[in-house]
Amino acid sequence: MLKPILLVEDDPRDLELTLVALERSQLANEVIIVRDGEAALDYLQRNGEHTDRAEGNPAVVLLDLKLPKVNGLEVLQSVRATEGLRSIPVVMLTSSHEETDVLRSYQLGVNAYVVKPVEFKQFVEAIADLGIFWAVLNEPPPGSLKTTRRRHE
Amino acid sequence: MSALPLPDLAQCAAEPIRTPGAIQPHGRMTVLDAASGELLAYSANWGSEREVREALALLPADHARLAPGTGPAWIGSLPLAGRTHDATAHRQGDCVILEYEPGGPVATMHAPMYAVAHEVLPLLTQADSLTALCQAVAREMKRLTGYGRCLVYRFDADGHGEVLAERADPGYDSYAGHRFPASDVPAQARELYRVNHIRVIPDANYDPVPLVPAEGARSPAALDLSFASLRSVSPVHLEYMRNMGTPASMSVSIVSRGRLWGLISCHDHQPKSLTFQARVACEHLGRLLSLQVQALEDNTEVAQRLALHQRVLTLVALMAETDGTLQKLVSPALALHELTDATGAAVVLNDICWTIGKTPPPEQVRELAHWIVGRGEDLFCTDRLPEAWPGGEALLPHCAGVLAVSISQVHRHVVLWFRPELVQAIQWAGDPRKTLPSSGRIHPRHSFDGWQELVRGRSAPWLQAQQAAVSELRQALIALVLRRAEEMAGHAIELGRVNKELEAFSYTVSHDLRAPMRHIAGYVDLVLEDNADKLDERSHRYLQHVKDAASYAGQLVDALLDFSRMGRSGLKPGPVDAGALVEDLVEELKHGERGRLIEWEIRGPLPCLWADPLLLQVAVRNLLANAVKYTRGRDPARIVVAATATPLGPGLEITDNGVGFPMKYVGKLFGVFQRLHRAEDFDGTGIGLANVKRIVERHGGTVWARGEPERGATFGFVLPPAPSRPVESS
Repeated sequence: MLKPILLVEDDPRDLELTLVALERSQLANEVIIVRDGEAALDYLQRNGEHTDRAEGNPAVVLLDLKLPKVNGLEVLQSVRATEGLRSIPVVMLTSSHEETDVLRSYQLGVNAYVVKPVEFKQFVEAIADLGIFWAVLNEPPPGSLKTTRRRHE
Repeated sequence: MSALPLPDLAQCAAEPIRTPGAIQPHGRMTVLDAASGELLAYSANWGSEREVREALALLPADHARLAPGTGPAWIGSLPLAGRTHDATAHRQGDCVILEYEPGGPVATMHAPMYAVAHEVLPLLTQADSLTALCQAVAREMKRLTGYGRCLVYRFDADGHGEVLAERADPGYDSYAGHRFPASDVPAQARELYRVNHIRVIPDANYDPVPLVPAEGARSPAALDLSFASLRSVSPVHLEYMRNMGTPASMSVSIVSRGRLWGLISCHDHQPKSLTFQARVACEHLGRLLSLQVQALEDNTEVAQRLALHQRVLTLVALMAETDGTLQKLVSPALALHELTDATGAAVVLNDICWTIGKTPPPEQVRELAHWIVGRGEDLFCTDRLPEAWPGGEALLPHCAGVLAVSISQVHRHVVLWFRPELVQAIQWAGDPRKTLPSSGRIHPRHSFDGWQELVRGRSAPWLQAQQAAVSELRQALIALVLRRAEEMAGHAIELGRVNKELEAFSYTVSHDLRAPMRHIAGYVDLVLEDNADKLDERSHRYLQHVKDAASYAGQLVDALLDFSRMGRSGLKPGPVDAGALVEDLVEELKHGERGRLIEWEIRGPLPCLWADPLLLQVAVRNLLANAVKYTRGRDPARIVVAATATPLGPGLEITDNGVGFPMKYVGKLFGVFQRLHRAEDFDGTGIGLANVKRIVERHGGTVWARGEPERGATFGFVLPPAPSRPVESS
């Protein structure tokens, strides 16, 4: 089974557009949706409401930069600092062109930094490319989680 | 005020003028022990010691009333040798000195004092100038005493006397406006005048009467007669008087703020004595004059200081309106030199020198300023520069006096004022160059004929008030300079804060403004896709406009962000091969403009430029894309890229045959959001050329444009060549 994609997005419109884009990319992976950085870490560390989830890491984390509570950079930092999570591919998916954000993300070990294009067509292409690369082409680290596709809202 | 070498007056200074051991013969003296009242000595002109003791028995001195250091007090009168004598007493050390002098008629005893109080005092208070005051005093003194000539004169800083007022009977020489050299009144005589305010010599041809000891008493030889009116005066002075032809004299001191300011000097061709009461009146007149002189000088000083204070305030206010740099001091509007009645002024900042008015050459001003800084004084002042500074002689005659203040000694910041040489003709009352005769004994000068001296190398003296004013200016300038430094530091902090805010603003623009644009564009796309067959043509068109607008807004936000980032990010310059750069960009543009016929011409070889590769690429792409954009509709479009150069350095020129522009708009071309064409004709955000300009100028280069409507345009830029040393990226 394919590993899920963890989508961390607080903006409902971006969330919907991203899901449409993922749908159009025809990826078979399940997409796990969390709405802030704290929930993302809970999911990854199997804490809080995610205590009972099955073991295993997602194929890729699509991480928004600006998030309530714990922001994207902090989530990234935490992931890279945690044994067992360190190897998860993380893609920063953001509206920010800001150089310092890009720089900081790479310093913290992001795998890719994608500025969401304004044009929807390009946005769909970008998401599809990401999904295909990280969830399909990329050889996942050992110990992958195999689940069916479902949604968490 | 004289450059004359004065003779050695050591002999005068050594003369025992306070302890002559003798008196003048017109009165008699007895000296008692202050404690016991025992007779110690008496003048040799008493008939006998018994006569002395009889006089003492008649009119005993009241020891208790006599305070040391004050002049004689009247203790009564008594007949001696068939005449009424006034008896006075004063205390000197542990002695009481009694003096007996022939008195005037009893009826007139109070008249002189009354005249001073009732008649002279109002005249003095009415005098509004120093000259008027001195003239009134000379006139009244002459009237009061009946001397043939009365002079009022003032000592200058060097001790020379200058006659300010004179009243003389016919037959007397006039000394009005003349000067008496300092040697006429030696230092120790001046000191005696300072403490004892009156001296009368009734007849210069007298034979001194020695003091003799009473039987069994100690020798009175060393007795200090400073306050005794009968004190025998220096034989030199008597000779001086005889030379002058004036056997009778009286001198009354004018003392201002404890300093001997001048003398009221009276002379007569005939021997002439003055009663004790008249003497007291004269002494009081002297005191009144002293007070008035001091008041007048104070008033003048205060008025000068006030006026100068106002001018300093105006000057500082004008300075404060400028950027506060010291150079502004010499701007004509401030008329700095007029502040101190100088003919020129200069501001020296280390090796820079700015001047206004008449000044020495900047080279010498700088040299002088540095010498002044070396003295380590806040204020330097001289009216005789050649004496003070070795280089001063060369500056004559345009500069003989200098007033200067140091604003900063560390930085050698000095403000200077200059005054020209003022050749003074001094009218001396006789040649003041006394000579020592071979006999060794000093003699006073014989000639009192007018003698003129020319004094060179001097300027008019700087007034105390002027010195105070420049000191005040100095304080204000230091405060101003410090304040500017603080303001600059404040600006830097403020600038840093604004930059931070701008960054935060850019961040908001980049993130929070892009997102809604993206959403609008995205959802409109979804609606268009999902309902393609349900929408009528009009709705379809409207939604297309919404999509285009959102898309354009998104581009605008991106462009704005690029522009702001260009101002903030540091340059990482290096050598860039413009040929390769242009080739790549042309390929990229050809790819994007398939279907159009564009004739590209690259007139190589293109130069190697010293620039940040990424930013230069942005700039050149903008220029090439502009050429592509504005040649739309031309068939064929022609775009030429050529090397160019100016004295500043190498660069590129891009020429097209597009729509061009009227040259009157060339200034607007590079402004942010300046567009010269309608939006539907040519797309774009209007920020591209602003970016180009910003990039080129950040590299220290220049950018230009030439155009002609419907004929095409040329855009060019040059950048400075690579520095010889690698520059640090900021």
